[in-house]
Amino acid sequence: MASLVAFSFLAALVLGAGLGVVLTRNVAYAALFLLVTLVAVAGIFILALAEFLALVQVLIYGGAIVIVVIFALMLTRIEEFSRVRDNPQKPLAVVAALAILGVLTAAFLQFRPAVATLRGASLEGLGKELFTRWAIPFEVASLVLLVALLGAFLIARTGVDRDRDRDRDGDAPPEGGGR
Amino acid sequence: MTLLMMELLSGALFAIGLYGVLARRNAVLVLMAIELMLNAVNINLIGYAAFLDPGRVLGQVLAIFVITIAAAEAGLALAIILRVYRNRGTVNVDEINLMKW
Amino acid sequence: MELAWLIPAMSAIAFPAILLPGRLLPRGGAFLAPLAILGGFIVFWIVLADFLATGNAGFGITWLEAGAVRLSWGIFIDPLAVIMLGVVTFVAMLIQVYSWAYMANEPRFSWYFAVHSLFAAAMLTLVLADNLLFLYIAWELVGLCSYLLIGFYFERRSAAEAAKKAFVTTRIGDVGMLIGILLLFRATGTFDISTLIHLAQTGGIAGGALTAGMLLIFAGAAGKSAQFPFHVWLPDAMEGPTPVSALIHAATMVVAGVYLVARLFPAFEAAPAVMAVVAAIGLVTMLLGATLALVMTDLKRVLAYSTISHLGFMMLALGSFGLGAAIFHMFVHAFSKAMLFLSAGSVSHGTNELDIRKLGGLRRRMPATALCFTVGALALAGLPPLSGFFSKDELLAAVLQGRGGVFLAFTLLGAFLSALYMSRVTLLTFFGPLKREQEHAHESPLLMIGPMLILAVLAVVVGFLALPLVSGYGGFGHVLEPGGEPFHFKVWLVTLSSILAAAGLTLGWLIYSRGALSADAVRARFPAVQRVLESKYYVDVIYQWAIDHVVLVAGRFVALFDRVVVNDTGVNGAGASVVASGMRLRIHVTGLLANYALGIAVGAVAVAVVMWLMTTA
Repeated sequence: MASLVAFSFLAALVLGAGLGVVLTRNVAYAALFLLVTLVAVAGIFILALAEFLALVQVLIYGGAIVIVVIFALMLTRIEEFSRVRDNPQKPLAVVAALAILGVLTAAFLQFRPAVATLRGASLEGLGKELFTRWAIPFEVASLVLLVALLGAFLIARTGVDRDRDRDRDGDAPPEGGGR
Repeated sequence: MTLLMMELLSGALFAIGLYGVLARRNAVLVLMAIELMLNAVNINLIGYAAFLDPGRVLGQVLAIFVITIAAAEAGLALAIILRVYRNRGTVNVDEINLMKW
Repeated sequence: MELAWLIPAMSAIAFPAILLPGRLLPRGGAFLAPLAILGGFIVFWIVLADFLATGNAGFGITWLEAGAVRLSWGIFIDPLAVIMLGVVTFVAMLIQVYSWAYMANEPRFSWYFAVHSLFAAAMLTLVLADNLLFLYIAWELVGLCSYLLIGFYFERRSAAEAAKKAFVTTRIGDVGMLIGILLLFRATGTFDISTLIHLAQTGGIAGGALTAGMLLIFAGAAGKSAQFPFHVWLPDAMEGPTPVSALIHAATMVVAGVYLVARLFPAFEAAPAVMAVVAAIGLVTMLLGATLALVMTDLKRVLAYSTISHLGFMMLALGSFGLGAAIFHMFVHAFSKAMLFLSAGSVSHGTNELDIRKLGGLRRRMPATALCFTVGALALAGLPPLSGFFSKDELLAAVLQGRGGVFLAFTLLGAFLSALYMSRVTLLTFFGPLKREQEHAHESPLLMIGPMLILAVLAVVVGFLALPLVSGYGGFGHVLEPGGEPFHFKVWLVTLSSILAAAGLTLGWLIYSRGALSADAVRARFPAVQRVLESKYYVDVIYQWAIDHVVLVAGRFVALFDRVVVNDTGVNGAGASVVASGMRLRIHVTGLLANYALGIAVGAVAVAVVMWLMTTA
């Protein structure tokens, strides 16, 4: 019973903060809403007896990713920082989102497994599984991370070089400024 | 708390994220909405792991991979957004239409 | 005997070898051409020795197989092929030697020899081919070489026009021939010549298909051999260098038509209606050529019409079932007519003039050329015991036996005219007083005189091959028709033809040397005949009218159809419709990320719905 209450509270938090992310006009608020959502999802994980995942969620999402997002906001000094406007296709977006919601709900309601009891997994079991059966995908994932970070580094760095060359040529505003 | 609840929660969060991806103009906001969608998937995976998988770890393993990819994606997306901003002075996705006919 | 394929192969290799790395070699590598054909001539003797020892042979490699159809690159060696191999390699070799001196100052010296090599390769392939498709490829190649060599002086408009005319005219016949070949293929499922002959002889081909097929193939032969009504290209072909006229338009290529009919002779025999056509066309061509040779004023054109006339003789002999006589005449004619053309080339080399009205008395300046030309003329006139006498005799016998008295009478008339025009052209060119403008004429170099003298000797002696010289050799014709009767003279026919030849020569002498009879007076007496002859029986005029009023008008309609339907609607229309639909369709390519994401979402929903409907239904 207690878990149901906790779940309801956390679920309301996830959905409310999620709506806040996509609805607010202030970009900074959106980032904060995102942080709330991610932490609430970590709470859901704990309710589902996946403590390790909850930890990972808080560390990587709540820590790293949200900070990356906030860096992105800071580095792109947009004028309408506190009052962003949405796409003209907003009504269509509503329809599409509702359609996806309908399809998913219908699918979930139809999918009724016979036995569904809540039971936790040991961290030891997860570690064994990850480094035996899933060792190769695990290594590949690390490679993906490495390549992605190198790529991000390259994309950002060459841009810096080019901008510096332009500045030296006396081309004061960046290319976008002269658009 | 039942499996169905978690499933419905994940579905709702996914729909919210999708709405954000489709409706937002600012690329950083689109990125946030994508993170929401990934989280919705993770909720679903954890739910199945906790309620259905005999070993109870399969969904968690997959969730770890999703988080890994999400981290890589966030880093790359940041770099791309910075690049676009430097070159074009905007991060609004509806002003970036170089792929137009 | 398997070496036979080497004969065309060597010349075929010489063609690219001269053109590609040739410019690094002295004289543009042109010497490769005579070397290749000399090699071919040497191999010919090996093949001949093998042939005499073992008889007919054929072998080849499979080119491609499609279902029941099997195409091969094969060669077939029988007496006919061996004779042609010998004639072609030998005459081509002599003429290339002659050309070495004659063409010495030409800027496209090595190109000339390269095409000469290609021609030799194609002609020898044509001779050896064992199936009609292979033969047809070689057939078109010799046509191409003929085109290239007639148009050798393509800077001159008349030469370019003549090359085009020769190509297009023979092409009309060739299309017929291709249709004929395909018709026979449809009826029998094979291109193989010996199989076709066997089927034709045993009635394996329906009569209608056989007649139509053979008639169409004869159209190709008539085109190549300048038979009426395709004869118009050969006189114009004289625009090419004279050695080319000697090789291609006298000795070898133009007899390809005769060779083709001879190669398929049993099949032609199985279609008597076609044989009648062959004989009739041959007769008409023979008389037409002979009468026109009488009035031409250009030395080479006289020889060209004479060639047409003698090709007519050969066709007439074939049409009269005289295979041996026709091939023997071809054999003899190749030497004497090649030599006459080479002499004409020598004349033009020494005087830069080929109009016989401006020539005269050249024997004082060019004795060797005069001697060769006179011998050739007498041989062609059929004076005993020169070679033409024997071949003409066999030919007359064949016509009498195959077609009867009326044809024989016309053939005798043709023989008489032959003697007359040969004496006319010889006397006007080489005898009589030397014209003042020809004071500077000079004899040609030894490299040119040598081949002419060799051919002259042959023109005198090859006739004796008609006789059964040694035991086991039943005469030339007997080799080709082993079942036929051995050679013997028909005394009354021999006497008659000799008297006619002598009469023709005497008449020519009286008119053109003694002046006892005035040609001008004859002309004045029959103005209509004069007009008809000088306009070459109006054949060219009729063709020109047909081209202007039929071909070009029809062509204009076709061009209109092409422009409106094919081009505007089809080609441009297809492009325009793609462009137009693209202009409309491109609206969906907004370049906006959000639009694409929406598309993905809607698509995912649609896929889910469809799958759900499919699983529940």
